[in-house]
Amino acid sequence: MRQRTLAAGLLSPAFAIFAVLMAGPLAILIDESLKPFVSGRIGGDDAGGLTLSHYGELMDPAYALYFADTFRLGLIVTLVGVLLGYPVAYLIARQAGPRLRSALIAGLIGMLFLSLIVRVYAIMMTFGPIGPLSGIGGLVGIEINSRAGTEMMVVLGLLHTVFPLVALTLVGTVQNLNPRLEDAALSLGAPRWRAFLAVTLPLSVPGMLSAGILGYAFCISNFVVPLILGKGFVLFVSNLIYFRFSEVNNYPSGAAISVIMILISMILFYGLMRLVRTRWQETGR
Amino acid sequence: MMRRYGDLAGLMLYALLLAIAALFALVPIVVSIVISFDDRTFIGPFPPSEFSLRWYGEFLSDSYYHEGLKVSLLVSGIATAVSTTAGVMAAVALDRFQFPGRNVIQALLVSPLVIPTVVIGFAMLMFASRLGIIDGLPRLIMGHIIITLPYVVRTTLASLTGIRPTLYEAAISLGATPLQALWEVVLPLARTGIFAGAIFAFVMSFDEVAVSLFLSDPFTYTLPVALLAQMRADLNFTVAAVSVIFLLFTILLIWVIERLVGLDRLVGQGIYRG
Repeated sequence: MRQRTLAAGLLSPAFAIFAVLMAGPLAILIDESLKPFVSGRIGGDDAGGLTLSHYGELMDPAYALYFADTFRLGLIVTLVGVLLGYPVAYLIARQAGPRLRSALIAGLIGMLFLSLIVRVYAIMMTFGPIGPLSGIGGLVGIEINSRAGTEMMVVLGLLHTVFPLVALTLVGTVQNLNPRLEDAALSLGAPRWRAFLAVTLPLSVPGMLSAGILGYAFCISNFVVPLILGKGFVLFVSNLIYFRFSEVNNYPSGAAISVIMILISMILFYGLMRLVRTRWQETGR
Repeated sequence: MMRRYGDLAGLMLYALLLAIAALFALVPIVVSIVISFDDRTFIGPFPPSEFSLRWYGEFLSDSYYHEGLKVSLLVSGIATAVSTTAGVMAAVALDRFQFPGRNVIQALLVSPLVIPTVVIGFAMLMFASRLGIIDGLPRLIMGHIIITLPYVVRTTLASLTGIRPTLYEAAISLGATPLQALWEVVLPLARTGIFAGAIFAFVMSFDEVAVSLFLSDPFTYTLPVALLAQMRADLNFTVAAVSVIFLLFTILLIWVIERLVGLDRLVGQGIYRG
């Protein structure tokens, strides 16, 4: 009984913070999203009753485009992130000696901790119109000053965070695969590439999915990268929320988009992530 | 023969991907460092021909940035202090005691991590305005407390799980009250984890842009918000100078974490090694 009292006492400050600073704002957000919008007024109309119209508006093709851009570019970043992150994770987990391993892990963590502002600026200066690697898009037929070029900049900006995030997550995955399984395939006469493709890679799929979901969630909720590197041509849903608030003062509509964003991110983390973890948890150990 | 070519192709693809990853990670950083010493007053082609410390001087003498830095340190400092105190207390309770609803409370306290920061900023802005709070500083602090709390709870919980429960029980059986046992046995053992959590919270708060953009007012803005405004209005090399300063702090931070907890422990060795 005394333990319960102590536990309650210890939990109360954090719980109070959560109740006031998280539950409070979320309740206001949902309330606001159901209010009618009155042009020129800051905040929705209190007297106008409740409406679902702001959610209905989101079905409009004009909005769907923002969602489509966000999801599509997020997916590209995630795929490239896994493609680049996996070899690095494999190197760290299977091949690197203690020195190289520490250096690579320190580098990846440093890259992950790097300020978003620094990152965005560095990408702009490196791959932008006057940057030393500006021509890189040309290799795949992308002209830097076109819309595709702008999309590429946003992708590169997001990738600079997603790559270390995915690589570090995958180090854990590859480390926990039994290396003897690949050895067994080799000793049974499989060439190295086949042993990798048929044994190690399939066993890494659940880890790749978890890392991918993590990276994807980061991408689709990102705000700064599309704001700066998108130059107004490529906008994510998060930018739309900000513009609803800063430029048209349509709070109820911004709130409705926010509620949808919360739902999407809940589905990613509590739905998809849990599904991956429970279905494949013990493979390859 | 087939086998040799297959292995060779695989190896080349592996090396190519590693090389691309290394270049992608390093080149932008190097470019930022080089252009921060550019002597030109306009943005010109890379590489610069003359070098100087002009942009560092510019940054250090600009009161617009000073103001931002002051607000950033104040907001991140207060938010970290509040969320570390509350978060550590909660983590200790979650780790040491069994009670109904424990998992639910833990999930709730970590849940702000899952909500996009733009949404937190926007919701907090409306919440504050309904409460009649229109000053930037209290709003910013409110927003930063809620985004840092989950990091503290998570890191402290992780460091507490490594402490054997028998130590706590031994203290109790030697006559300590539960509170004394926590304060004098468990907390000192979790010290480094708590410190790492606080650093983590501070860094996350210091770098936050989306939440701060909503909650700033024209006179109270954080350093990242000031830099963002600078980048959108008039792109110059001041941001490069700031980047290098931030970069040095990141390196310092990695060094401190390595000393405190060890980077390897952060990632773990896996079950088939050592």
